[in-house]
Amino acid sequence: MKAYVLLAFMILCILLVPITAYYLGEWYAYWGHALLAIIFGILTVFVKTRYYWEED
Amino acid sequence: MAPPIPESSTELTVGVIVAVTVFLATSVLLGFFMRKKAKSFDEWLVGHGDIGPFVTGFALIASYLSGWAIFGNAGLGYAYGWSGSWLIGTICIMGMALCLVIGYRMRRYVALGARTVPEMLKVRFESRAVQFLAGLAMIVLLIVYSVGQYKAMATVWTITTNTFFQWSLIATALLVLVYIAVGGYTGTQWVSCFQGVLLTVIGWTLGIVAMIWAGGPMEIAGAIRTETFTKPGGENTTIPLDGYTLPLPPPSGLAFAGVDWLGVSATIFMFLFMATGFPHNIARFLGTRKITKREYWVMLLILILGGLTPLWIGIVGFAARAVWGNTLMGLKYDFGGRVYGDSSATLVSMSNGVFLASLFAAAVFAASVATLAGMVMIMATNITRDFIHNIRPEISQKRMLWLTRLMLIPFIIIPLWWTLTSTPPILSEFMAGSAVAQAGIFFFVVGVSMYWKRATKWGAITTIVYGLILTILHPNAYGKIVGLYHWGYWALLLMFGSALVYLFVSLATNPLSEDKLEKLFLQKRGG
Repeated sequence: MKAYVLLAFMILCILLVPITAYYLGEWYAYWGHALLAIIFGILTVFVKTRYYWEED
Repeated sequence: MAPPIPESSTELTVGVIVAVTVFLATSVLLGFFMRKKAKSFDEWLVGHGDIGPFVTGFALIASYLSGWAIFGNAGLGYAYGWSGSWLIGTICIMGMALCLVIGYRMRRYVALGARTVPEMLKVRFESRAVQFLAGLAMIVLLIVYSVGQYKAMATVWTITTNTFFQWSLIATALLVLVYIAVGGYTGTQWVSCFQGVLLTVIGWTLGIVAMIWAGGPMEIAGAIRTETFTKPGGENTTIPLDGYTLPLPPPSGLAFAGVDWLGVSATIFMFLFMATGFPHNIARFLGTRKITKREYWVMLLILILGGLTPLWIGIVGFAARAVWGNTLMGLKYDFGGRVYGDSSATLVSMSNGVFLASLFAAAVFAASVATLAGMVMIMATNITRDFIHNIRPEISQKRMLWLTRLMLIPFIIIPLWWTLTSTPPILSEFMAGSAVAQAGIFFFVVGVSMYWKRATKWGAITTIVYGLILTILHPNAYGKIVGLYHWGYWALLLMFGSALVYLFVSLATNPLSEDKLEKLFLQKRGG
Protein backbone atom coordinates (compact mmCIF):
# COMPACT_ATOMS: atom_id res chain seq x y z
CA MET A 1 0.00 0.00 0.00
CA LYS A 2 1.32 3.43 -0.90
CA ALA A 3 2.22 5.84 1.86
CA TYR A 4 -0.22 8.48 0.64
CA VAL A 5 -3.15 6.08 1.04
CA LEU A 6 -2.18 5.63 4.68
CA LEU A 7 -1.81 9.39 5.06
CA ALA A 8 -5.37 9.75 3.70
CA PHE A 9 -6.57 7.30 6.38
CA MET A 10 -4.76 9.39 9.00
CA ILE A 11 -6.60 12.50 7.82
CA LEU A 12 -9.84 10.51 7.90
CA CYS A 13 -9.18 9.66 11.56
CA ILE A 14 -8.95 13.38 12.33
CA LEU A 15 -12.11 14.22 10.36
CA LEU A 16 -14.07 11.49 12.13
CA VAL A 17 -13.40 13.03 15.55
CA PRO A 18 -16.00 15.85 15.37
CA ILE A 19 -18.31 13.66 13.25
CA THR A 20 -18.50 10.95 15.93
CA ALA A 21 -19.06 13.62 18.57
CA TYR A 22 -21.95 15.12 16.59
CA TYR A 23 -23.67 11.90 15.50
CA LEU A 24 -22.87 9.43 18.28
CA GLY A 25 -22.20 11.51 21.41
CA GLU A 26 -21.71 10.36 25.02
CA TRP A 27 -19.46 7.31 25.64
CA TYR A 28 -19.44 6.23 21.99
CA ALA A 29 -17.76 9.49 21.03
CA TYR A 30 -15.53 9.59 24.13
CA TRP A 31 -13.99 6.14 23.57
CA GLY A 32 -14.40 6.49 19.81
CA HIS A 33 -11.99 9.43 19.94
CA ALA A 34 -9.49 7.32 21.85
CA LEU A 35 -9.84 4.54 19.28
CA LEU A 36 -9.37 6.95 16.37
CA ALA A 37 -6.31 8.39 18.11
CA ILE A 38 -4.83 4.90 18.58
CA ILE A 39 -5.45 4.03 14.90
CA PHE A 40 -3.84 7.36 13.92
CA GLY A 41 -0.84 6.53 16.13
CA ILE A 42 -0.45 3.04 14.64
CA LEU A 43 -0.63 4.45 11.09
CA THR A 44 1.89 7.17 11.96
CA VAL A 45 4.46 4.69 13.28
CA PHE A 46 3.76 2.28 10.41
CA VAL A 47 4.38 5.04 7.81
CA LYS A 48 7.55 6.05 9.63
CA THR A 49 8.98 2.54 9.98
CA ARG A 50 7.83 1.24 6.57
CA TYR A 51 8.36 4.22 4.25
CA TYR A 52 10.46 6.86 6.01
CA TRP A 53 12.81 4.83 8.17
CA GLU A 54 16.20 6.44 8.53
CA GLU A 55 19.43 4.96 9.76
CA ASP A 56 22.10 6.98 11.53
CA MET B 1 -28.88 9.11 48.40
CA ALA B 2 -25.55 10.65 47.41
CA PRO B 3 -22.59 9.88 49.69
CA PRO B 4 -21.37 12.87 51.72
CA ILE B 5 -18.56 15.00 50.36
CA PRO B 6 -15.47 13.73 52.20
CA GLU B 7 -13.36 15.91 54.44
CA SER B 8 -9.77 15.75 55.52
CA SER B 9 -8.82 13.57 58.49
CA THR B 10 -5.67 12.94 60.49
CA GLU B 11 -5.32 9.51 58.88
CA LEU B 12 -5.56 11.01 55.40
CA THR B 13 -3.14 13.83 56.22
CA VAL B 14 -0.56 11.30 57.41
CA GLY B 15 -1.20 9.12 54.34
CA VAL B 16 -0.70 12.02 51.91
CA ILE B 17 2.45 13.24 53.66
CA VAL B 18 3.93 9.72 53.62
CA ALA B 19 3.02 9.11 49.95
CA VAL B 20 4.39 12.46 48.75
CA THR B 21 7.53 12.05 50.89
CA VAL B 22 8.21 8.54 49.54
CA PHE B 23 7.65 9.78 45.99
CA LEU B 24 10.00 12.75 46.41
CA ALA B 25 12.64 10.66 48.20
CA THR B 26 12.61 8.11 45.35
CA SER B 27 12.94 10.91 42.80
CA VAL B 28 15.94 12.42 44.59
CA LEU B 29 17.59 9.00 45.01
CA LEU B 30 17.22 8.32 41.29
CA GLY B 31 18.78 11.73 40.58
CA PHE B 32 21.77 10.90 42.81
CA PHE B 33 22.05 7.44 41.27
CA MET B 34 22.55 9.07 37.86
CA ARG B 35 25.05 11.68 39.02
CA LYS B 36 27.98 9.83 37.37
CA LYS B 37 26.36 10.50 34.00
CA ALA B 38 26.36 14.26 34.55
CA LYS B 39 29.99 15.12 35.29
CA SER B 40 30.80 17.44 32.39
CA PHE B 41 28.57 20.21 31.04
CA ASP B 42 27.87 18.24 27.86
CA GLU B 43 26.91 15.14 29.84
CA TRP B 44 24.75 17.18 32.17
CA LEU B 45 22.88 18.60 29.15
CA VAL B 46 22.20 15.42 27.15
CA GLY B 47 23.74 12.49 29.03
CA HIS B 48 25.54 9.76 27.08
CA GLY B 49 22.94 9.31 24.32
CA ASP B 50 22.17 5.85 25.69
CA ILE B 51 18.60 6.17 26.94
CA GLY B 52 16.28 3.43 25.69
CA PRO B 53 12.67 3.39 24.49
CA PHE B 54 11.06 2.49 27.83
CA VAL B 55 12.60 5.40 29.73
CA THR B 56 12.13 7.85 26.85
CA GLY B 57 8.50 6.78 26.36
CA PHE B 58 7.45 7.15 29.99
CA ALA B 59 9.52 10.34 30.44
CA LEU B 60 7.60 11.79 27.49
CA ILE B 61 4.32 10.80 29.13
CA ALA B 62 5.34 12.49 32.39
CA SER B 63 6.57 15.70 30.81
CA TYR B 64 3.48 15.96 28.58
CA LEU B 65 0.83 15.17 31.21
CA SER B 66 1.15 18.09 33.54
CA GLY B 67 -0.37 18.47 36.99
CA TRP B 68 -3.42 20.11 35.51
CA ALA B 69 -3.99 17.19 33.13
CA ILE B 70 -3.86 14.62 35.91
CA PHE B 71 -6.32 16.44 38.13
CA GLY B 72 -7.68 19.43 36.18
CA ASN B 73 -9.22 17.08 33.60
CA ALA B 74 -11.66 15.83 36.21
CA GLY B 75 -12.68 19.46 36.77
CA LEU B 76 -13.35 19.83 33.04
CA GLY B 77 -15.50 16.70 32.95
CA TYR B 78 -17.31 17.74 36.11
CA ALA B 79 -18.03 21.35 35.13
CA TYR B 80 -18.65 21.02 31.37
CA GLY B 81 -19.89 17.44 30.91
CA TRP B 82 -19.14 15.87 27.51
CA SER B 83 -18.08 19.22 26.03
CA GLY B 84 -15.19 19.21 28.52
CA SER B 85 -13.79 16.23 26.59
CA TRP B 86 -12.13 18.47 24.03
CA LEU B 87 -9.79 20.00 26.59
CA ILE B 88 -9.44 16.70 28.44
CA GLY B 89 -7.59 15.62 25.32
CA THR B 90 -9.41 12.49 24.18
CA ILE B 91 -7.25 12.56 21.03
CA CYS B 92 -3.94 13.43 22.71
CA ILE B 93 -2.42 10.13 21.50
CA MET B 94 -2.51 11.57 17.96
CA GLY B 95 -0.21 14.44 18.93
CA MET B 96 2.03 12.16 20.98
CA ALA B 97 2.46 9.80 18.01
CA LEU B 98 3.47 12.76 15.84
CA CYS B 99 5.95 13.85 18.52
CA LEU B 100 7.37 10.31 18.55
CA VAL B 101 8.12 10.22 14.83
CA ILE B 102 9.19 13.89 14.53
CA GLY B 103 11.16 14.19 17.77
CA TYR B 104 13.50 11.28 17.13
CA ARG B 105 15.39 13.38 14.58
CA MET B 106 16.71 15.51 17.46
CA ARG B 107 19.43 12.85 17.76
CA ARG B 108 20.87 13.93 14.41
CA TYR B 109 21.28 17.49 15.68
CA VAL B 110 22.84 16.26 18.92
CA ALA B 111 25.42 14.45 16.76
CA LEU B 112 26.05 17.78 15.03
CA GLY B 113 26.72 19.55 18.32
CA ALA B 114 23.28 20.72 19.52
CA ARG B 115 22.72 20.37 23.26
CA THR B 116 19.43 22.25 23.68
CA VAL B 117 16.28 22.68 21.57
CA PRO B 118 17.16 26.29 20.56
CA GLU B 119 20.69 25.15 19.76
CA MET B 120 19.19 22.62 17.35
CA LEU B 121 17.75 25.67 15.55
CA LYS B 122 21.17 27.29 15.50
CA VAL B 123 22.55 24.19 13.78
CA ARG B 124 19.56 23.94 11.43
CA PHE B 125 19.62 27.60 10.32
CA GLU B 126 23.24 28.52 11.13
CA SER B 127 21.82 31.46 13.05
CA ARG B 128 22.63 32.56 16.57
CA ALA B 129 19.73 35.03 16.38
CA VAL B 130 17.20 32.19 15.97
CA GLN B 131 18.74 30.34 18.91
CA PHE B 132 18.58 33.47 21.08
CA LEU B 133 15.00 34.37 20.09
CA ALA B 134 13.71 30.80 20.49
CA GLY B 135 15.36 30.63 23.93
CA LEU B 136 13.70 33.90 24.94
CA ALA B 137 10.27 32.76 23.70
CA MET B 138 10.64 29.49 25.61
CA ILE B 139 11.45 31.30 28.85
CA VAL B 140 8.40 33.60 28.47
CA LEU B 141 5.99 30.76 27.66
CA LEU B 142 7.36 28.16 30.06
CA ILE B 143 7.67 30.37 33.11
CA VAL B 144 3.96 31.12 33.12
CA TYR B 145 3.15 27.47 32.41
CA SER B 146 5.21 26.46 35.46
CA VAL B 147 2.81 28.32 37.76
CA GLY B 148 0.09 25.79 36.86
CA GLN B 149 2.22 22.93 38.17
CA TYR B 150 2.61 24.50 41.60
CA LYS B 151 -1.09 25.38 41.69
CA ALA B 152 -2.04 21.74 40.99
CA MET B 153 0.13 20.52 43.87
CA ALA B 154 -1.13 23.27 46.20
CA THR B 155 -4.78 22.44 45.50
CA VAL B 156 -4.45 18.72 46.15
CA TRP B 157 -2.41 19.32 49.28
CA THR B 158 -4.95 21.81 50.68
CA ILE B 159 -8.00 19.61 50.06
CA THR B 160 -6.49 16.38 51.38
CA THR B 161 -4.58 17.64 54.40
CA ASN B 162 -6.48 20.82 55.24
CA THR B 163 -3.13 22.39 56.13
CA PHE B 164 -1.11 25.23 54.63
CA PHE B 165 0.42 24.15 51.33
CA GLN B 166 3.31 26.63 51.42
CA TRP B 167 5.89 24.42 53.13
CA SER B 168 5.00 21.39 51.02
CA LEU B 169 5.65 23.41 47.87
CA ILE B 170 8.88 24.90 49.15
CA ALA B 171 10.16 21.43 50.15
CA THR B 172 9.12 20.01 46.77
CA ALA B 173 10.83 22.86 44.91
CA LEU B 174 14.07 22.30 46.85
CA LEU B 175 14.08 18.56 46.18
CA VAL B 176 13.36 19.06 42.46
CA LEU B 177 16.24 21.53 42.38
CA VAL B 178 18.53 18.95 43.97
CA TYR B 179 17.72 16.08 41.62
CA ILE B 180 18.03 18.20 38.46
CA ALA B 181 21.27 19.81 39.63
CA VAL B 182 22.83 16.47 40.57
CA GLY B 183 21.39 14.13 37.95
CA GLY B 184 21.30 16.51 34.99
CA TYR B 185 19.53 15.31 31.83
CA THR B 186 19.92 11.57 32.47
CA GLY B 187 18.78 11.87 36.09
CA THR B 188 15.78 13.98 35.09
CA GLN B 189 14.90 11.52 32.32
CA TRP B 190 14.97 8.52 34.68
CA VAL B 191 13.04 10.37 37.39
CA SER B 192 10.45 11.42 34.78
CA CYS B 193 10.15 7.79 33.66
CA PHE B 194 9.42 6.73 37.24
CA GLN B 195 6.89 9.55 37.53
CA GLY B 196 5.29 8.59 34.19
CA VAL B 197 4.78 4.97 35.31
CA LEU B 198 3.38 6.16 38.65
CA LEU B 199 0.86 8.61 37.22
CA THR B 200 -0.26 6.15 34.52
CA VAL B 201 -0.93 3.34 36.99
CA ILE B 202 -2.69 5.59 39.50
CA GLY B 203 -4.64 7.51 36.83
CA TRP B 204 -6.03 4.30 35.32
CA THR B 205 -6.80 2.87 38.78
CA LEU B 206 -8.65 5.97 39.96
CA GLY B 207 -10.64 6.19 36.70
CA ILE B 208 -11.78 2.55 36.88
CA VAL B 209 -12.57 2.80 40.60
CA ALA B 210 -14.55 6.03 40.02
CA MET B 211 -16.59 4.45 37.24
CA ILE B 212 -17.57 1.54 39.48
CA TRP B 213 -18.16 3.88 42.45
CA ALA B 214 -20.63 5.95 40.39
CA GLY B 215 -22.63 2.88 39.32
CA GLY B 216 -21.10 2.19 35.90
CA PRO B 217 -20.98 3.98 32.53
CA MET B 218 -24.74 3.86 31.83
CA GLU B 219 -25.55 5.38 35.21
CA ILE B 220 -23.01 8.17 34.62
CA ALA B 221 -24.31 8.96 31.11
CA GLY B 222 -27.89 8.97 32.39
CA ALA B 223 -27.00 11.39 35.19
CA ILE B 224 -25.15 13.79 32.87
CA ARG B 225 -28.24 13.91 30.61
CA THR B 226 -30.20 15.51 33.46
CA GLU B 227 -27.51 18.01 34.50
CA THR B 228 -27.25 21.66 33.46
CA PHE B 229 -24.28 24.01 33.47
CA THR B 230 -23.56 25.63 36.82
CA LYS B 231 -21.37 28.70 37.07
CA PRO B 232 -18.40 28.71 39.46
CA GLY B 233 -19.88 29.78 42.77
CA GLY B 234 -23.03 27.69 42.41
CA GLU B 235 -25.43 29.71 40.19
CA ASN B 236 -27.29 27.22 38.00
CA THR B 237 -28.35 27.75 34.35
CA THR B 238 -30.68 25.92 31.94
CA ILE B 239 -27.87 25.01 29.48
CA PRO B 240 -27.76 21.16 29.31
CA LEU B 241 -24.46 19.28 29.69
CA ASP B 242 -25.46 16.38 27.44
CA GLY B 243 -23.83 17.60 24.19
CA TYR B 244 -20.29 17.81 22.87
CA THR B 245 -20.66 21.57 22.56
CA LEU B 246 -21.81 23.86 25.35
CA PRO B 247 -23.38 27.09 24.05
CA LEU B 248 -22.35 29.39 26.88
CA PRO B 249 -23.59 32.97 26.51
CA PRO B 250 -21.27 35.52 24.85
CA PRO B 251 -19.02 37.34 25.34
CA SER B 252 -17.40 35.55 28.32
CA GLY B 253 -18.73 32.14 27.22
CA LEU B 254 -16.87 32.39 23.92
CA ALA B 255 -13.59 31.97 25.81
CA PHE B 256 -14.55 28.31 26.48
CA ALA B 257 -13.04 25.97 23.88
CA GLY B 258 -16.10 23.73 23.60
CA VAL B 259 -18.58 26.57 23.07
CA ASP B 260 -19.13 25.66 19.38
CA TRP B 261 -17.65 23.56 16.56
CA LEU B 262 -15.14 26.22 15.64
CA GLY B 263 -13.68 26.05 19.14
CA VAL B 264 -13.78 22.26 18.92
CA SER B 265 -11.80 22.35 15.64
CA ALA B 266 -9.20 24.55 17.31
CA THR B 267 -8.74 22.08 20.18
CA ILE B 268 -8.27 19.20 17.70
CA PHE B 269 -5.42 21.05 15.98
CA MET B 270 -4.04 22.18 19.35
CA PHE B 271 -3.72 18.54 20.46
CA LEU B 272 -2.18 17.57 17.12
CA PHE B 273 0.55 20.21 17.37
CA MET B 274 1.04 20.59 21.13
CA ALA B 275 3.01 17.46 22.03
CA THR B 276 5.67 18.29 19.43
CA GLY B 277 5.49 22.02 20.15
CA PHE B 278 6.28 21.64 23.87
CA PRO B 279 10.06 22.16 24.11
CA HIS B 280 10.19 20.04 27.30
CA ASN B 281 8.64 17.16 25.30
CA ILE B 282 10.88 17.28 22.26
CA ALA B 283 13.90 17.60 24.58
CA ARG B 284 13.13 14.03 25.80
CA PHE B 285 14.78 12.82 22.57
CA LEU B 286 18.09 14.67 23.10
CA GLY B 287 19.63 11.74 24.97
CA THR B 288 17.86 8.85 23.24
CA ARG B 289 19.94 6.03 21.82
CA LYS B 290 19.37 4.50 18.38
CA ILE B 291 15.93 2.90 18.34
CA THR B 292 15.02 -0.17 16.30
CA LYS B 293 11.73 -0.52 14.45
CA ARG B 294 10.49 -2.97 17.05
CA GLU B 295 11.37 -0.54 19.84
CA TYR B 296 9.45 2.16 18.01
CA TRP B 297 6.32 0.03 18.41
CA VAL B 298 7.12 -0.48 22.10
CA MET B 299 7.30 3.30 22.51
CA LEU B 300 3.94 3.69 20.78
CA LEU B 301 2.42 1.14 23.17
CA ILE B 302 3.78 3.14 26.12
CA LEU B 303 2.35 6.34 24.65
CA ILE B 304 -1.06 4.68 24.19
CA LEU B 305 -1.09 3.42 27.80
CA GLY B 306 0.00 6.79 29.16
CA GLY B 307 -2.08 8.78 26.68
CA LEU B 308 -5.29 7.17 27.90
CA THR B 309 -4.63 8.40 31.45
CA PRO B 310 -6.20 11.86 30.83
CA LEU B 311 -9.38 10.13 29.65
CA TRP B 312 -9.58 8.13 32.88
CA ILE B 313 -9.14 11.32 34.88
CA GLY B 314 -11.92 12.94 32.83
CA ILE B 315 -14.15 9.99 33.78
CA VAL B 316 -13.48 10.75 37.45
CA GLY B 317 -15.07 14.17 36.84
CA PHE B 318 -18.09 12.63 35.10
CA ALA B 319 -18.47 10.19 37.99
CA ALA B 320 -18.35 13.03 40.54
CA ARG B 321 -21.05 14.89 38.60
CA ALA B 322 -23.21 11.77 38.48
CA VAL B 323 -22.91 11.19 42.22
CA TRP B 324 -22.84 14.70 43.70
CA GLY B 325 -24.68 16.71 41.03
CA ASN B 326 -23.56 20.32 40.82
CA THR B 327 -22.76 20.64 44.56
CA LEU B 328 -19.00 21.02 44.04
CA MET B 329 -19.52 24.16 41.93
CA GLY B 330 -20.60 25.88 45.15
CA LEU B 331 -17.67 24.64 47.27
CA LYS B 332 -15.02 27.19 48.03
CA TYR B 333 -11.64 25.87 48.96
CA ASP B 334 -9.71 29.08 49.12
CA PHE B 335 -5.94 28.87 48.83
CA GLY B 336 -5.35 32.19 47.17
CA GLY B 337 -7.35 30.94 44.21
CA ARG B 338 -10.79 29.33 44.37
CA VAL B 339 -11.35 25.66 43.55
CA TYR B 340 -14.77 24.45 42.43
CA GLY B 341 -15.10 21.51 40.02
CA ASP B 342 -11.31 21.09 40.09
CA SER B 343 -11.70 19.52 43.51
CA SER B 344 -13.63 16.57 42.03
CA ALA B 345 -10.72 14.14 41.37
CA THR B 346 -9.30 14.66 44.84
CA LEU B 347 -12.70 14.27 46.50
CA VAL B 348 -13.53 11.11 44.53
CA SER B 349 -10.16 9.63 45.54
CA MET B 350 -10.90 10.54 49.18
CA SER B 351 -14.31 8.82 48.89
CA ASN B 352 -12.55 5.61 47.95
CA GLY B 353 -10.23 5.32 50.92
CA VAL B 354 -7.10 6.82 52.40
CA PHE B 355 -4.79 4.58 50.38
CA LEU B 356 -6.14 5.68 46.98
CA ALA B 357 -6.35 9.34 48.03
CA SER B 358 -2.73 9.28 49.20
CA LEU B 359 -1.56 7.63 45.99
CA PHE B 360 -3.54 10.12 43.92
CA ALA B 361 -1.89 13.05 45.76
CA ALA B 362 1.50 11.49 44.95
CA ALA B 363 0.42 11.10 41.28
CA VAL B 364 -0.49 14.78 41.03
CA PHE B 365 2.88 15.69 42.54
CA ALA B 366 4.56 13.29 40.07
CA ALA B 367 2.87 14.84 37.03
CA SER B 368 3.52 18.39 38.23
CA VAL B 369 7.12 17.80 39.23
CA ALA B 370 7.99 16.00 35.97
CA THR B 371 6.65 18.81 33.81
CA LEU B 372 8.19 21.43 36.08
CA ALA B 373 11.62 19.74 36.02
CA GLY B 374 11.58 19.48 32.23
CA MET B 375 10.65 23.15 31.87
CA VAL B 376 13.10 24.42 34.50
CA MET B 377 15.95 22.58 32.82
CA ILE B 378 14.99 24.09 29.45
CA MET B 379 14.84 27.63 30.89
CA ALA B 380 18.13 27.38 32.80
CA THR B 381 19.95 26.11 29.72
CA ASN B 382 18.26 28.83 27.64
CA ILE B 383 20.18 31.34 29.76
CA THR B 384 23.55 29.59 29.85
CA ARG B 385 23.82 27.58 26.64
CA ASP B 386 21.56 29.66 24.35
CA PHE B 387 22.42 33.15 25.61
CA ILE B 388 25.79 33.17 27.41
CA HIS B 389 27.56 30.39 25.49
CA ASN B 390 26.07 31.81 22.29
CA ILE B 391 27.82 35.14 22.92
CA ARG B 392 30.92 33.87 24.72
CA PRO B 393 31.70 30.29 23.60
CA GLU B 394 35.16 30.46 25.19
CA ILE B 395 33.81 30.13 28.77
CA SER B 396 34.97 26.87 30.34
CA GLN B 397 32.66 23.84 30.52
CA LYS B 398 33.10 23.61 34.28
CA ARG B 399 32.04 27.20 34.81
CA MET B 400 29.05 26.76 32.48
CA LEU B 401 27.92 23.68 34.39
CA TRP B 402 27.92 25.48 37.71
CA LEU B 403 26.30 28.54 36.20
CA THR B 404 23.49 26.37 34.77
CA ARG B 405 22.99 24.69 38.14
CA LEU B 406 22.78 28.17 39.65
CA MET B 407 20.26 29.30 37.04
CA LEU B 408 17.92 26.47 38.08
CA ILE B 409 17.23 28.42 41.28
CA PRO B 410 15.43 31.49 39.81
CA PHE B 411 13.37 29.34 37.46
CA ILE B 412 12.23 27.16 40.36
CA ILE B 413 11.58 30.16 42.58
CA ILE B 414 9.79 32.66 40.30
CA PRO B 415 6.71 30.50 39.55
CA LEU B 416 6.74 29.32 43.18
CA TRP B 417 6.75 32.91 44.38
CA TRP B 418 3.80 33.69 42.10
CA THR B 419 1.89 30.72 43.47
CA LEU B 420 2.64 31.65 47.08
CA THR B 421 1.76 35.31 46.67
CA SER B 422 -1.36 34.79 44.50
CA THR B 423 -1.03 34.61 40.75
CA PRO B 424 -1.63 37.88 38.90
CA PRO B 425 -4.99 37.48 37.07
CA ILE B 426 -3.62 38.16 33.58
CA LEU B 427 -0.78 35.69 34.18
CA SER B 428 -3.23 32.86 34.74
CA GLU B 429 -4.84 33.64 31.38
CA PHE B 430 -1.45 33.63 29.69
CA MET B 431 -0.84 30.29 31.37
CA ALA B 432 -3.85 28.83 29.55
CA GLY B 433 -2.72 30.47 26.31
CA SER B 434 0.87 29.29 26.68
CA ALA B 435 0.03 25.74 25.53
CA VAL B 436 -1.56 26.98 22.29
CA ALA B 437 1.37 29.33 21.71
CA GLN B 438 3.94 26.57 22.18
CA ALA B 439 1.90 24.36 19.81
CA GLY B 440 1.57 27.09 17.18
CA ILE B 441 5.12 28.35 17.28
CA PHE B 442 7.37 25.38 17.96
CA PHE B 443 5.53 22.67 16.03
CA PHE B 444 6.60 24.50 12.90
CA VAL B 445 9.80 26.23 13.97
CA VAL B 446 11.28 23.12 15.62
CA GLY B 447 9.31 20.10 14.35
CA VAL B 448 8.72 20.97 10.71
CA SER B 449 12.14 22.63 10.29
CA MET B 450 13.83 19.30 10.97
CA TYR B 451 12.12 17.84 7.88
CA TRP B 452 11.47 20.77 5.51
CA LYS B 453 14.59 21.78 3.62
CA ARG B 454 13.07 25.00 2.34
CA ALA B 455 12.53 26.47 5.85
CA THR B 456 14.62 29.57 6.53
CA LYS B 457 15.80 31.46 9.58
CA TRP B 458 13.57 34.41 8.64
CA GLY B 459 10.59 32.08 8.49
CA ALA B 460 11.46 30.88 11.99
CA ILE B 461 12.09 34.37 13.41
CA THR B 462 8.86 35.89 12.06
CA THR B 463 6.85 32.89 13.27
CA ILE B 464 8.18 33.26 16.81
CA VAL B 465 7.43 37.00 16.84
CA TYR B 466 3.94 36.50 15.36
CA GLY B 467 3.14 33.71 17.85
CA LEU B 468 4.20 35.79 20.85
CA ILE B 469 2.10 38.77 19.74
CA LEU B 470 -0.96 36.52 19.29
CA THR B 471 -0.37 35.00 22.75
CA ILE B 472 -0.82 38.41 24.34
CA LEU B 473 -4.12 38.72 22.43
CA HIS B 474 -5.71 35.75 24.27
CA PRO B 475 -9.48 36.47 24.64
CA ASN B 476 -9.19 36.73 28.44
CA ALA B 477 -6.00 38.85 28.31
CA TYR B 478 -5.70 41.71 25.81
CA GLY B 479 -7.69 40.16 22.94
CA LYS B 480 -10.80 42.13 23.90
CA ILE B 481 -9.07 45.34 22.87
CA VAL B 482 -9.02 44.15 19.24
CA GLY B 483 -12.36 42.32 19.43
CA LEU B 484 -10.94 38.80 19.89
CA TYR B 485 -13.51 37.26 22.24
CA HIS B 486 -13.71 33.79 20.72
CA TRP B 487 -11.13 31.23 21.92
CA GLY B 488 -11.48 29.17 18.75
CA TYR B 489 -10.81 32.12 16.42
CA TRP B 490 -7.84 33.15 18.55
CA ALA B 491 -6.31 29.65 18.69
CA LEU B 492 -6.79 29.03 14.95
CA LEU B 493 -5.39 32.48 14.20
CA LEU B 494 -2.34 31.70 16.31
CA MET B 495 -1.68 28.18 15.01
CA PHE B 496 -2.54 28.59 11.32
CA GLY B 497 -1.29 32.18 11.25
CA SER B 498 2.05 30.82 12.51
CA ALA B 499 1.95 28.12 9.81
CA LEU B 500 1.27 30.65 7.05
CA VAL B 501 3.90 33.11 8.27
CA TYR B 502 6.43 30.27 8.50
CA LEU B 503 5.54 28.99 5.03
CA PHE B 504 5.41 32.25 3.10
CA VAL B 505 8.35 33.99 4.76
CA SER B 506 10.46 30.85 4.26
CA LEU B 507 9.51 30.68 0.59
CA ALA B 508 10.25 34.38 0.15
CA THR B 509 13.74 34.16 1.65
CA ASN B 510 16.86 32.16 0.86
CA PRO B 511 17.50 28.79 2.53
CA LEU B 512 20.94 27.45 3.39
CA SER B 513 23.05 26.29 0.48
CA GLU B 514 22.60 22.72 -0.79
CA ASP B 515 25.92 21.49 0.53
CA LYS B 516 25.10 22.77 4.01
CA LEU B 517 21.65 21.19 3.90
CA GLU B 518 23.11 17.89 2.77
CA LYS B 519 24.62 17.12 6.16
CA LEU B 520 21.27 17.86 7.88
CA PHE B 521 18.98 15.96 5.53
CA LEU B 522 20.15 12.46 4.79
CA GLN B 523 18.50 10.35 2.13
CA LYS B 524 15.52 8.32 3.37
CA ARG B 525 15.70 4.55 3.38
CA GLY B 526 12.71 2.30 2.96
CA GLY B 527 12.24 -0.64 5.31
